[in-house]
Amino acid sequence: MLAGCAGGDGTPTPTSTPGDGDDDGTATPSDGTETPGDIGRELPSDLAEPGTRDEYLQRANLVLNVEAPWIFLNRQYSVYGKSTRVNWTARADETIKGYAIEPTDGNAVTITQSQMDSGLDPHDHRETPTQNIVTQTYEGLLGRDADGRIVNELATGYERSGDAEVTFELRSGVSFHSGDSFTAEDAAYSINRIVQSDVGGLESPQSDQLAGVTGAEAGSDSTVVVSTDGFNPTVFALFASYCDIVNQSWMESNDAAYINSHMNGTGPFQLETYEQDVQVVYSSYGDYWRDAAPADELTIQAAGEASTRVNQLLSDETDIIVNVPPQSISQVQGADNAEIAATASTRVIYNAMVYNAEPFDSVEFRQAMNYAVDMESIVENILSGFADVTSQPTLENFTGYNSDVDPYPYDPDQAEALVEASGYSGAEITLHTPVGRYLQDVEIAQAVAGYIDELPNVSAEVQQRDFGNLAGELLDGDITTGPDFYLIGWGNTTFDASQTIIPLLTTDGALTSYSNEQVDELINTAQSRIE
Amino acid sequence: MASYSRFLTKRVLQGLLVVWGVITVVFLLRYITPGNPIDFIAPLDASQATRQRIIEARGLDDPLYVQYVDYIVGLFRGDMGFSYRSRTPVAPRVFAKLPATLELAVAATVVAVIISIPLGVVSATRRNQPADYGATLFSLLGISTPNFWLGVMLVILLAVQFQFFPTSGRTGGFLETIGNLLVLKVNGPLVSFTGGSPSFGQFVFELPMEFSAFLADGRDWFLSLFLPAITLGTYFTALITRLTRSGMLEQLGQSYVRAARAKGLPETLVRYRHVLRNTLIPVVTVVGLQLGTLIGGAVITEAVFDWPGLGTLVIDSINNRDWPLIQGCLVVIGAGFVIVNIVVDAVYAKLNPQVMD
Repeated sequence: MLAGCAGGDGTPTPTSTPGDGDDDGTATPSDGTETPGDIGRELPSDLAEPGTRDEYLQRANLVLNVEAPWIFLNRQYSVYGKSTRVNWTARADETIKGYAIEPTDGNAVTITQSQMDSGLDPHDHRETPTQNIVTQTYEGLLGRDADGRIVNELATGYERSGDAEVTFELRSGVSFHSGDSFTAEDAAYSINRIVQSDVGGLESPQSDQLAGVTGAEAGSDSTVVVSTDGFNPTVFALFASYCDIVNQSWMESNDAAYINSHMNGTGPFQLETYEQDVQVVYSSYGDYWRDAAPADELTIQAAGEASTRVNQLLSDETDIIVNVPPQSISQVQGADNAEIAATASTRVIYNAMVYNAEPFDSVEFRQAMNYAVDMESIVENILSGFADVTSQPTLENFTGYNSDVDPYPYDPDQAEALVEASGYSGAEITLHTPVGRYLQDVEIAQAVAGYIDELPNVSAEVQQRDFGNLAGELLDGDITTGPDFYLIGWGNTTFDASQTIIPLLTTDGALTSYSNEQVDELINTAQSRIE
Repeated sequence: MASYSRFLTKRVLQGLLVVWGVITVVFLLRYITPGNPIDFIAPLDASQATRQRIIEARGLDDPLYVQYVDYIVGLFRGDMGFSYRSRTPVAPRVFAKLPATLELAVAATVVAVIISIPLGVVSATRRNQPADYGATLFSLLGISTPNFWLGVMLVILLAVQFQFFPTSGRTGGFLETIGNLLVLKVNGPLVSFTGGSPSFGQFVFELPMEFSAFLADGRDWFLSLFLPAITLGTYFTALITRLTRSGMLEQLGQSYVRAARAKGLPETLVRYRHVLRNTLIPVVTVVGLQLGTLIGGAVITEAVFDWPGLGTLVIDSINNRDWPLIQGCLVVIGAGFVIVNIVVDAVYAKLNPQVMD
């Protein structure tokens, strides 16, 4: 499988399998770092200097595995229920594209999410349910296929035209649903509306998604030139995941309330009716620049309760449902008219351990926490097998993933010995977890705390938290105000390691719990290179 | 009559005071409740600078008294402000939920009253007989059964298994169904909110009546409402049954009943004209209070059946700390509760004029 994103030039990344473990610096902890009598993991002493951007990122993942700032939990799966009346394959980025759904019985498709949108402005949200609704109508310059590989959409090509500049060649013959033609000015306006607070009357919460992009202007009739604040190796990956293109004249002639209740994009579906909080109905756009969508009509609705969604699917009232809980999987699989469609998502679930708070300021203690937890059992019993155990912050098939780094095995004896070695024998720790924010979050936290509590020299318990309050403590810019030990998830649809490590594990990251000069240096070096 | 008018006027003024109190308390709660709406608007990886810009753009940093005065003034214009999360006006969004909420609340109440009062009367008049035991058992089951479980079981059995009803959602509505019969129609919505202020649709005179559409829409609407109404009304039914039974038993033991019988009045007249009327006085009060509660409190039933009512909107807005939307919902719910209570008081005063003293 391809990684989907390179260091910014748009070509897919080859599968991360280095020729040999030592020469490119991706030696595994299991390759001779553990000698008889030693406990825990150490970095090999004979690591070669990384040469490429990918190697620098892989080295960072190796260091992070050994330093263990997290208990590495799991990669979340997106588990959908699908009617046998449609042909559809789930995407890794949790987006449901109506264009990829082929009805085999009739010409209408219905999707049931867990919640509706927070408004139809494609630049004024950061949630998957809203993205699933606006993505049927709006498109970006670049996009991704179901496996995460970058593909052209409203751009037909792209290149680095300077140290702090990239240029997109724009597709001709594209029109908005209002009938206006897509122009370079629309592309420039869309980018500026996100990254510049004085454009478009919007303070976009997506500005940090286009990190490093400072603005854009129309080049010739068929190009848009994007400026960045210095070299940006992931700029094309960012545009493949973010930045929907809007019609400048339509945006400027309507107020926020209108824009949030209507849509005017270039996508395969146009808005027919919008009932806020209830449903959105689309019809196929006849002048779409590609072949028309397989479905003539698309409806997106929501049901907060998982059992309600499952019942809708089993009664043929909907064609695709999201977030099938583990306890309902067998019910869907056993039905004649439905089946499960699951795929590994781009979300990693982890337990952060604040690096400068006792007892987590000890590497031995942090490693002990990883050895103490039987993640295989948690995946099997709590997540019904729909998850992958992780060994590093970066997910498999992302740029920078280190395939030679193994997950920590379940070894309570080694955990106990490491706790003794750390000097924190008898420590009492509390794991803070949000409730209902992530799939089985409380159950996972309770299992993790249970395993840790079984160690004779550590006590652990769980504290359930409202996600809003927990997030507020973690995002106030002061690492000391939040809990020292917490469960949280992170989604990264750029398929690049840097977009997980930078915000979560570098010294200045927005949600960081860790600081390590070596990691900072490796990431900074990686970000200064294209390849 | 003059005293009845004075009584009602006093109740209305008290009601307005209560609604103002709700508005003010909800406003103050904003500042003592943990959680900041910015945590739900801005993403996890937003920089502090981005968060601050979003705070300023939504007026989240204005002083409390400025926001309070703006809100009260806006309410007099029918403007409830704009949602922090979606930046759309709050008023149309809240009032759009009202028909669904009222339908479910009234339907549950009708189910409860239709079943419980006759059942309570039968139970009281056939005391210690099989009918009484059956009614008592039904009451016990109704009060003991969690409506979440009941709703899910009804869906699995009657919707998924036998497909007699849809599993969830609201199809059409009362107004849409009746609209097929009305000769006088409205182009567009009856009330719309342009820029936050209300305006009314254009009334037109149209012939002929669409009776077949009325039947079709009515059937679909009824089928979608049936299971949620049963689910929501079951506890209520059990409660009113027991109340009616105990009330009738108490009244049947009163001396005026013995006197009426001694005078030779037919038993049916004694029971249904005198005893039942007195029994219904507290029942009317409870029914009214329950109806007021249902206007904002059917969250579980709305969740199970994906019924687009106010309860779910309130919970979602609280979870998102979307304060303008929370306020809008609570103002409408509070006003609805007050109105229902005023009506209950008015009916109660008619049944028992002594309460006006």
